[in-house]
Amino acid sequence: MELALQFGWGMMGHTRSLLREWGSGTVILSPRDLSDDQLRRFSKDVRKLNGELLVDPQFYLPHSHHHRLVAHEYWPDDYDSVVFWSGSELEALLTRLHDLNRDLDTKATLLPGLHGSSVSSDWLIQQQAILEGAERVGIPPEDSFATVALSDTALLSDANVEDLLEGSRDWSPHGVYLICEHPQGDYLVDNPTWLANQLDLIAGWRLRGKQVVVGYSNHQNLLAAAAGATAIASGTWMNVRSFPPDKFRVQYEEEIRRRTTWYYAPAALSEFKIPYLDIAARQSLLADLKPDHPFPQSHTAPLFSGAQPSATGFSERDAFRHYLQCLRIQSEAATDLSFDRTLDGLQSTLDNAERVLDGLHAVGVSGQGRDFGDCIGPCRAAIGVLKTTRGPVLRREWRNLTT
Amino acid sequence: MIDLNWLKAQFPALSGLTRLGRGGQKEVFTANHQEDGEVVLKVFHVGADRERALREVRVSLDLVDARIPDTYEVGTADSPTGEVLWVRERLIRGQNLRGVLAHGPLSGDQVIRAAMDLLDVLAAAEQLSIVHRDVKPDNVIAAEDGSFWLIDFGLARHLDLASITATGLPFGVGTPGYAPPEQFRNRKPEIDGRADLFGLGVTLYESIEGANPFRANARDNLEILRRTETTALPSITRAIVRGGGFADLIQAMTRTRPSHRPESVAYAREWLESILDER
Repeated sequence: MELALQFGWGMMGHTRSLLREWGSGTVILSPRDLSDDQLRRFSKDVRKLNGELLVDPQFYLPHSHHHRLVAHEYWPDDYDSVVFWSGSELEALLTRLHDLNRDLDTKATLLPGLHGSSVSSDWLIQQQAILEGAERVGIPPEDSFATVALSDTALLSDANVEDLLEGSRDWSPHGVYLICEHPQGDYLVDNPTWLANQLDLIAGWRLRGKQVVVGYSNHQNLLAAAAGATAIASGTWMNVRSFPPDKFRVQYEEEIRRRTTWYYAPAALSEFKIPYLDIAARQSLLADLKPDHPFPQSHTAPLFSGAQPSATGFSERDAFRHYLQCLRIQSEAATDLSFDRTLDGLQSTLDNAERVLDGLHAVGVSGQGRDFGDCIGPCRAAIGVLKTTRGPVLRREWRNLTT
Repeated sequence: MIDLNWLKAQFPALSGLTRLGRGGQKEVFTANHQEDGEVVLKVFHVGADRERALREVRVSLDLVDARIPDTYEVGTADSPTGEVLWVRERLIRGQNLRGVLAHGPLSGDQVIRAAMDLLDVLAAAEQLSIVHRDVKPDNVIAAEDGSFWLIDFGLARHLDLASITATGLPFGVGTPGYAPPEQFRNRKPEIDGRADLFGLGVTLYESIEGANPFRANARDNLEILRRTETTALPSITRAIVRGGGFADLIQAMTRTRPSHRPESVAYAREWLESILDER
């Protein structure tokens, strides 16, 4: 499973640096965070660095009226009327998006998709209208992804998930760009039904031969490897590592304002504020948080040099790059040669995280809102459901899904 | 009940007409035909649903070369109570699978043969957008030569034609314990070949284990439907093919949600072939 970079606020430098280091990679550009001019200039930079591009049109919540989004040329003036979905306005939007994708030389077109508070027949009709409109304006299905943006309520409903899988059987695009709101705006999800249903959607589409890119992901979506996901996309701030329900958006923006630095410990699947690393050091547990091989030490070496971690100057920049470096390695390693080996690998990652966290919790070291402790059980439960419901078919198709 | 003497007079080419059974829609007879040999004669009741009967006939005419009995002739006759539709088809010598299972489960080889033969028929039906909707041991003939045949397309649906079952009805057609949830819940857009995979999966499970857990000791039909909707079949206890592949296939075919079953009958047949290749 690949890691794509989900572009967000202040990510240009990180993207350039990471692509330079990786030698390649996919970047999902965010018109919400880039003006039209920046979009064009930055996409050139990405291509120069051997990167590939996708543009998320971010039409899932058109009423959000973000000033930079509405300033983009493709953004329609009026999308309130029902006629928009059956008239020329939709085709105009798709034509402009098609032009933008061609100008930026993207590897595929992410089609717009409206946020679904539930998977209703009306929502499915709108999705279908977009897909049909895209074909009419000449966007080839083999080069396009349908965007599926779902509310937490929709994803918590087994019936909605089944309706979506059944309702999308005839969708023509080559792939699905899946964006799922987290329950209660939580960064990490501790609801096993939500997790199991997300895996079910991914596996359902993958088994139909669709590529599935799971947008707005954090490391919890390493689970998506069990369902054969093509890629997860993640970024720097919390608002590009999880798709917040609209009412929690402000809370996510607040995180950027506060600028707290979090250190990601891949073995614990958790992030910690730096003062907690000081405590872990004093309790002789810092070594448990050290990113051992194959994770790079370049950004984190000072933290584990013996000095007090909070005195090492570990910066926000280091934290972001370290997180994405680790996540890329974990994503690539998450997919194994067989379905069962992939599940075993994920189970072992969860077991190890549990062991590390037990030790840390015993001495009061916690990742607070980014501590994975409460998510381990739900993740195991979700994997268990996937194994029961789709295991036989995934086992049989694994090679086709992952090569 | 149809008068045998009247029937003999209508079909002078048939000898040895013997009543085989009587159902809600038709009466079935066996006989010898001068040219075609042993045959089955189905005579639909005067009050039978004519459109449904014609669909059954049409399905059997469309599905040539599949393991369903050949249809030789179709016609109508004026009976003392009104006009009746009749169908004359090949008699498959053998026993209904329900009767076979009354004496115990099938052998491993028989299960594999049943799976292959019935997947063949259902895949042919799927190609023509036909769903049988009532795959169960009662509708399978275990022939004397070891092959398995699917009969009674009386509930079949042609997906490209308008539905005969009213869309608003809370329950659809089918047999409790063999029909999948989307079928008995009458969720028509979800019904396709995967519904038949469910019925076949349960039939094969019963052929292996000797019982259908959805039906065994159930209080009533509602209890059967509840079990079908909320529980999965237990794991198969007999190894039919070396490795777990066959058990996996049955498990996948009988998943509650259609999206969790193999994508199509053709896919399931391919899967079975690959399991057998790897033996």
